[in-house]
Amino acid sequence: MSNKIIQWIDHRFPLTSFVKHELTAYPTPRNLSYWWNFGFLAGFVLVLQVVTGIFLAMHYKADIAMSFDSIQHIMRDVNYGWLLRFMHSTGASAFFLVIYIHMSRTLYYGSYRAPRELMWWTGQGLLLLLMATAFMGYLLPWGQMSYWGATVITNLFRATPFIGDQVVVWLRGDYTVGDATLTRFFALHYLFPFLIIGGVMVHLVALHTVKSSNPSGIDLADKDNIPFHPYFTSKDFYGLGIFLIVYCTFVFFFPNSLIEPANNIPANPMQTPNHIVPEWYFLPFYAILRSVPNLVGGVVAMGLSVMVFSFMPYLDRSQIPGGAHFRPWYRVMFYLFVVDMLVLGYIGYIPPTDSSIIVGQAATLVYFTLFILLPYISRREEQWLIRRGLPPEVQALIVSETREISKYPKRRRRGDTT
Amino acid sequence: MNKLIAIWMLFGLALPAWAGDEVKLEDIKLDTSMAAVERGADTLMNVCHGCHSLKYVRYRDLLTAGIDKKKVDTWRGDQALDTAMTGLLPDDTAMQMYGKIPPDLSLMTKAREGGTNYVYSYLIGYYITAEGAASNHVFPATRMPDMLGISGATDAAQRSEIQHKAQDVVSFLAWASDPHEEERRRLGFYVIAYLFVLTALLYVVKKQIWSRLKK
Repeated sequence: MSNKIIQWIDHRFPLTSFVKHELTAYPTPRNLSYWWNFGFLAGFVLVLQVVTGIFLAMHYKADIAMSFDSIQHIMRDVNYGWLLRFMHSTGASAFFLVIYIHMSRTLYYGSYRAPRELMWWTGQGLLLLLMATAFMGYLLPWGQMSYWGATVITNLFRATPFIGDQVVVWLRGDYTVGDATLTRFFALHYLFPFLIIGGVMVHLVALHTVKSSNPSGIDLADKDNIPFHPYFTSKDFYGLGIFLIVYCTFVFFFPNSLIEPANNIPANPMQTPNHIVPEWYFLPFYAILRSVPNLVGGVVAMGLSVMVFSFMPYLDRSQIPGGAHFRPWYRVMFYLFVVDMLVLGYIGYIPPTDSSIIVGQAATLVYFTLFILLPYISRREEQWLIRRGLPPEVQALIVSETREISKYPKRRRRGDTT
Repeated sequence: MNKLIAIWMLFGLALPAWAGDEVKLEDIKLDTSMAAVERGADTLMNVCHGCHSLKYVRYRDLLTAGIDKKKVDTWRGDQALDTAMTGLLPDDTAMQMYGKIPPDLSLMTKAREGGTNYVYSYLIGYYITAEGAASNHVFPATRMPDMLGISGATDAAQRSEIQHKAQDVVSFLAWASDPHEEERRRLGFYVIAYLFVLTALLYVVKKQIWSRLKK
């Protein structure tokens, strides 16, 4: 019976061939480590946020006179409303954590290099959409930090040449953040996740064209590729279990640690909080913004600090496979970058003092210097590695995989259509 | 690697310099038992509710939490059970008396840096200055009088009694700010236990499937 139904569908829609091509026969490098789990996890958190968000929207009221109260209504009166709300607020942090690890893996292993530039750029677009969605969602509870965060960030658009003031009014829908801002942020906060889903589709189509990168950094021959299902479905689900343990620990035991105390005070345009601080996932970029004493300069530096990742395929001139894995100089740069991000994050969190501003400026300088020096260092490193020779096991792997690929050219995985 | 550690140590040395001159808060162990919450409710209704509202808490919520029905009936008077615990002090009277409207207490323990420790330290933070006026260590600009009377209490027994009272008030406010906390924690243990079993099984499944692969 079910066979007949499937046949009926297959006659009209490529169901069986799709499942085979994208899942049960989709070739995946067998040497992927657990760092390759995070794309799947990001997809899972996206679904989690959309589902909890839709249910929250059934009880939320986008009106400055009612929104703070409606959050308390959800937290206190709606059945399991507290669970929905804490899943959603914790989910935002989980989303950024997963995405930052996903990006770090790409940077560490050099997965952004040819032929995966489009994956990297669609990913960059998705990061921007995610940031916009998170920022607008943060206004919705209409707490003090919501209000002042939105005020500070929309105010940055004053840096737009010639029409700065008009752009700010256009974004807010009013001269100050108010009801018009809240309703439009709510509308867009509901829309953007669906744009993200569209972007994820493009990201996945690109992935299934170029296939996954792997820790060795070279294209593996057919014998070293295994079907995605059941091998990587089982591995992804095990990773999901670990993720859920961490996530649920926060949802059930420390959900308030991710909510600023000031956001439990209703928005008050007459009273600025002592210290306006964004959510943790924006802190490094916020620190860069504050490091530049001039508004336009700060906004440009902050925008560049997010967008500079796009240039990685061109900044990294080395052809040595495996990213930081086989490249000692690049590895040092990678870890320096991670430490620099943490320093910036901390500087963004604390109220600015004379000494913290200097540390922030130094960290900002390190941040951009790493990117600026990368073309030079990566080329010198490549020359040095070629002179010195790659580690024997890498050399052996490259030789054996090349032989395998030239021996069975039809079984090469790139452009695999069977 | 050593360099990294050295950098972090330097960074660590610089931290205290940035910590600022904030007042050190008392560290309390929050008593979440219903008995403490109920004692806190008694004090709060006698001492605080005259001026402060708890607009997100209804009298019915007190019953649901397990507070004695007779007490709740006394507190609400002829108001319906579903009435919110709004304040008794009209806004303009409050403005005349204190120059500001006393803040709503429903979310107080969540709305301050330091949470329950802050509220407790504030309540027992009153003292008499050299000029003989009452002031507060934690919040010097406060307009609230020393309602629990800690600044005037000199002997140890009296002070300890007031400190206990303050702890109970904080227990009640912590409950009021997050009435589903106990339910959340209880459910959380089951969820985490379930996830541990599930993850262990998923690990076994993964191991078993991957063992089919030739080396």
